[in-house]
Amino acid sequence: MATANGANGASAQQIDDTTGEYLFLDQVIRRLDRHLIFPLLDHESRKENIPQERQDDLRLATFSLLKNTNMVDYVSQLYKDVHNSQTAPAEFEKKKQDVINRMAKYEDDTAHLTNVLSDEAVTSQLRSDKVANLKFLEEQHAVTQQMVDDLYDYGRFKYQCGQYPEAADILYRFRVLSTDNDKVVKATWGKLVCEILSEEWESAMEEVDKVKEHIETRLFNNPRAQLTARESLLHYSLFPFFNHEPAKDKLTDMYFSPAFMSTIQTVCPWILRYVAAAVITNRNRMNNSHNYQKQLKDLSRVVKQEVYEYQDPVTEFVKALYIDFDFEGAQKKLVEAENVLQGDFFLGSSTDSFVEAARHLISESYCKINQRIDMKDLSSRLGLSDSEGEKWIVDLIRETKVDAKIDFKAGTVVMNHPSQSVYQTVIERTKGAFFRTQVLSAAVAK
Amino acid sequence: MSRFFHGGDSDSDSSSSDEEELYEKEEEESDSEESEEEEEEDEDEDDSSDESVKGTGASRFLRAGADDDSDESDEDEGERKVRSAKDKRLDEVQQTISKIENAQKNQDWSLISAEFDNLNRQVQKVIQSGGTPKIYIKIIADLEDLVNETNEKQKASGKKMNANTARGFNAMKQKIKKNNKEFITEVDNYRKDKDAFMESEDEEELPKAKPARRERALGTEIDEQLDDEGWASVGRGGRALVYTPESILKHLRTIVESRGRKNTDRQEQIRIMEKLLEVANTPYQRVRVLLTIVSTRFDVTASSVQNYMSQEQWKSAQREFTLLLEELDKNPSLVVVEGAEEWEDDEKQPPTDNLLKVPGSVVSLLERLDDELTRSLQQTDPHTAEYIERLSDEQPLYDNIVRASIYYETIGKNPEVGKQTDNINRIVIRRIEHIYFKPLAVVKILEEKLWAALPSRLNSDLTPRGKYTEVDELVQALCNHLFENSEGIIRARAMLCQIYFLALQDSYYRARDLMLMSHLTENIASFDVSTQILFNRTLVQIGLCAFRAGLCYEAQGVLQEICGSGRQKELLAQGVMMQRYSTVTPEQERLERQRQLPFHMHINLELLECIYLTCSMLLEIPLLAQTGSSPDVRKRIISKTFRRMLEYAERQVFQGPPENTRDHVMQAAKALAQGEWKKCQELINKIQIWDLLGNDKDKIKSMLSEQVQEEGLRTYLFTYAPYYDTLSISTVSGMFELDDKKIAAIVSKMISHEELAAALDQVNDAIVFRKGVELSRLQSQILSLSEKAMGILESNEKVLETRTAGTSNAFQRDQGQRGGRGGRGGARGNLQGLARTGQGRRGGGFTGGVLGGAIRT
Repeated sequence: MATANGANGASAQQIDDTTGEYLFLDQVIRRLDRHLIFPLLDHESRKENIPQERQDDLRLATFSLLKNTNMVDYVSQLYKDVHNSQTAPAEFEKKKQDVINRMAKYEDDTAHLTNVLSDEAVTSQLRSDKVANLKFLEEQHAVTQQMVDDLYDYGRFKYQCGQYPEAADILYRFRVLSTDNDKVVKATWGKLVCEILSEEWESAMEEVDKVKEHIETRLFNNPRAQLTARESLLHYSLFPFFNHEPAKDKLTDMYFSPAFMSTIQTVCPWILRYVAAAVITNRNRMNNSHNYQKQLKDLSRVVKQEVYEYQDPVTEFVKALYIDFDFEGAQKKLVEAENVLQGDFFLGSSTDSFVEAARHLISESYCKINQRIDMKDLSSRLGLSDSEGEKWIVDLIRETKVDAKIDFKAGTVVMNHPSQSVYQTVIERTKGAFFRTQVLSAAVAK
Repeated sequence: MSRFFHGGDSDSDSSSSDEEELYEKEEEESDSEESEEEEEEDEDEDDSSDESVKGTGASRFLRAGADDDSDESDEDEGERKVRSAKDKRLDEVQQTISKIENAQKNQDWSLISAEFDNLNRQVQKVIQSGGTPKIYIKIIADLEDLVNETNEKQKASGKKMNANTARGFNAMKQKIKKNNKEFITEVDNYRKDKDAFMESEDEEELPKAKPARRERALGTEIDEQLDDEGWASVGRGGRALVYTPESILKHLRTIVESRGRKNTDRQEQIRIMEKLLEVANTPYQRVRVLLTIVSTRFDVTASSVQNYMSQEQWKSAQREFTLLLEELDKNPSLVVVEGAEEWEDDEKQPPTDNLLKVPGSVVSLLERLDDELTRSLQQTDPHTAEYIERLSDEQPLYDNIVRASIYYETIGKNPEVGKQTDNINRIVIRRIEHIYFKPLAVVKILEEKLWAALPSRLNSDLTPRGKYTEVDELVQALCNHLFENSEGIIRARAMLCQIYFLALQDSYYRARDLMLMSHLTENIASFDVSTQILFNRTLVQIGLCAFRAGLCYEAQGVLQEICGSGRQKELLAQGVMMQRYSTVTPEQERLERQRQLPFHMHINLELLECIYLTCSMLLEIPLLAQTGSSPDVRKRIISKTFRRMLEYAERQVFQGPPENTRDHVMQAAKALAQGEWKKCQELINKIQIWDLLGNDKDKIKSMLSEQVQEEGLRTYLFTYAPYYDTLSISTVSGMFELDDKKIAAIVSKMISHEELAAALDQVNDAIVFRKGVELSRLQSQILSLSEKAMGILESNEKVLETRTAGTSNAFQRDQGQRGGRGGRGGARGNLQGLARTGQGRRGGGFTGGVLGGAIRT
């Protein structure tokens, strides 16, 4: 991986890194698995209007990245591209042969076990007790420990070849059988990467849970390892985070959980960009506005804490809006953030919804603070034309049920902030009390 | 009895000199079984102001009777007395022994240690009145076995004893070793055949006279020989003192053996050793003499009235220590390590061709040297030239520290000696403790002089010559070494020193993060007091650093615990507090005094107080204004100390112009509360103590002025909101000399956090206050009632949850963080982590924090 980073790092320096994005990419890539880097680099090279040098750099980086894997065909193709030659050196051919041979060997080694495991009659007899299972297989079907370990190596090999679904499947089987905890853990990580790369988000999420559980329980007394494992998990799970809608809530919760948040703050503050983007874009789907508010509050707190260590347009937007209450600044940052987001591998697709949600946030807090607003001013703050702005405001009033009227003649919006009456407050506060008491007494009676 | 005394005194001249002569010669015959007893006796004689316990006096005569021609009746009388007393003593001894045996079963080492001392005292008397009791030999032999066995077990299992036991055990280990040397032959006899030894008759007293005489004869022979060589000098009392290279080791042995006894004249011993050093001609001898002389110098302090070492003594010790290191450096085949086998044969020189281990501990001597300097600094008036002069002794000491660490590094490379990680750690932490609190320039000079003073062929692997030109790199390197190689207290101290250093260099965030990640807050209570003091100092330094960085809120939070307690002096070990209802025993007070830091390490308490009060003012005054206007807000108090002082200041009938720092801050606070921010600024700026901040002074003053403006605005709005309908922003900006945008931002923040019931009118550029938000008394009480009811409900649920041990999930509801109600929520969340105050005297502080959880959870 070092070579890949080296190449990438070098490119970041050579090319004028105006937005700091290259450096950012470098930071993220350093924490990713070799295979996971590929989509990122691929994405970079697909960007429009990037200079030729950068293109070459990226290609070289991809080449060095994959050089040590078993995806020989693709690598030799890359080699040709990089060196502008028609023929790839013989070593690739040799390596290819080697890979094929090894593949065949692994297949042989594991054939027996695979057969046994695909036998319905056998699998139905397996229990949750791994030791007993292994014993059972050993007695009935002559499966040895060595075979199980072979399975692991085979899975790893497949993964190296880029055959992710197969690798995932094999690793799954290995995990069912193996009692070697270390290897099981590695297999779990491997399976996570495989699932991500084969875009099986559902199963990827399962693996994320498994890894998380492992971190909490197994590494309990090794803080250092815990920290690194969390760091990796945070980076890996960025893939499902922004590609799989249902995972979003769960992952947001995970990122906000104290342990993970402190990991972010300690070792990888750049993740804050993703957290911020996720929270802000969540706005539309989130029916629970209370939860949303809470997340925003948490977010702004963390952003403020980390200001001295990490800033990018997204976090600066949050800072301007919620810490400095500088609406103009927020607007400026929003434009910057939009650019950044568009170029980001993970966030590219959600740029629009981010901008939309961010506008809402700006206007929401603007309306909360101001009583009378000049429409022209507001429109410019939101980066819209006058008529667009008016439409926007009308929509906003309708959507958020803000008590506001437009004074057309003066060109202003008048907000009416009804203060919550004391009675209302008391009722709100004691709302759940009756129900809770009932549950309590029921529980006591049990 | 009186007659005995008389007799003793009258012929004291002849007899005592006689005896002394005997003593001298006996030294030579060190293996003799009787020598121990004889010496014992001899010392008593030496003491001219003999406080003579009965037994001693009597036994002296008893024994002396063999030599002297005192009459029969005297001897009889003495014998009779001794018999009865002896039986009694033997009984006592028996009792003590059974106690020890019991304690052995329980492995209660502290008890064993105490009883052992007791036993020795009793046995001493018995010995004087006769031979060594067999039971005594038995018990010491058994004890030694047990000690060795336990030691082995300890090493094998690696389990720790509890602190008390461990201390007892270690003390015991030392004592038994020392003690058993004296009885080595008996113990050997006993070991050879236990039963036979116990059964054999006590053959005491009778054969005593003869050996003594024999020795004497032998001794004179040697004496004469020496005289021939011309190495004779005249010692005290007209004795001939002879120092030859051959006799050095014997002299040393006598001196070492007399260590810890009463009535030894250490000055005299030191003089002897100084001479010996001149005479010594082999490296082995020199090393031995140096090791002994340095530790004897320390003993002088322990026994003298003065409780620190005189400068002259210290300097000599320091010089000899340097000599020792030089000597060791020149002779790589000589190695001083702890727990080495002693070279028993005084007559012969040990073989020099291969590695020779000499028992001793360079690091302990060094630590002692360092401690003595500190102690003497504690006792010196810091405002005198003497103090400065003493301080200049630090440089050679620092040289020696580094040199010793180089020495350990070198011998650590020798596979026969093994790695000296522990010793190096001990030295490195001393080194860090010499630099962590000093300004960069001073450390730089220290380092430069150090490398100039060290011979150029010496170099340290840990901190190679010329590699660390910057002090922060040096500190970092030293601390990293300790993080990797040490644990427990040394590691904790290294962390604290590093954090302190960072805070001193204005790296607030790094210092804070390290502090949180160190997790020292949770377990600082389990460390020793001096580490706790270091922890407090570090905490305070972080607070000061936050203040210099303009982070008043953080500074207040961090300082709260130390300064809020009103016991800064005590917590920072910068002076003993006289408490009104103190129940401090003199013993405790003495300890307290011992812990005090020397003046040059102090943190200025007045500056500390000033910063704490100023920060508290900036936070408390707006809060007071806010709670004053709306009773709904729960009465939060940030700093009790500040409130108390403010109340006190307000109660005063007549208020004069401010005199001290506190007056300044209090009057500034009053001015701020009344919206007179300019007066407040002026008062704060007038405080003299800011001068101590040096270059940062102006920066800090302008920072403070700005804060005063902002907080003044907030206070004004809180206080006068009920009287306004609308307020033009431009008016406010005129009043507070802030630009419109800044004011709008501040007001927005207040509105957004629901601190202020108002809204901005963008068209008219005004703040519109909402009416009817003030609650009546009844309403606010209803609110608090409902809140309390919910609180009860919640705690009920919690109780049930703990009862069911979390099995019932009925109550798992989103507990939602109670985010900052009012007041700059974001900031508060952050600070709660930083600034939560703990309980207990020195614990707590700096708890939790999001970062704190980073590694643990």
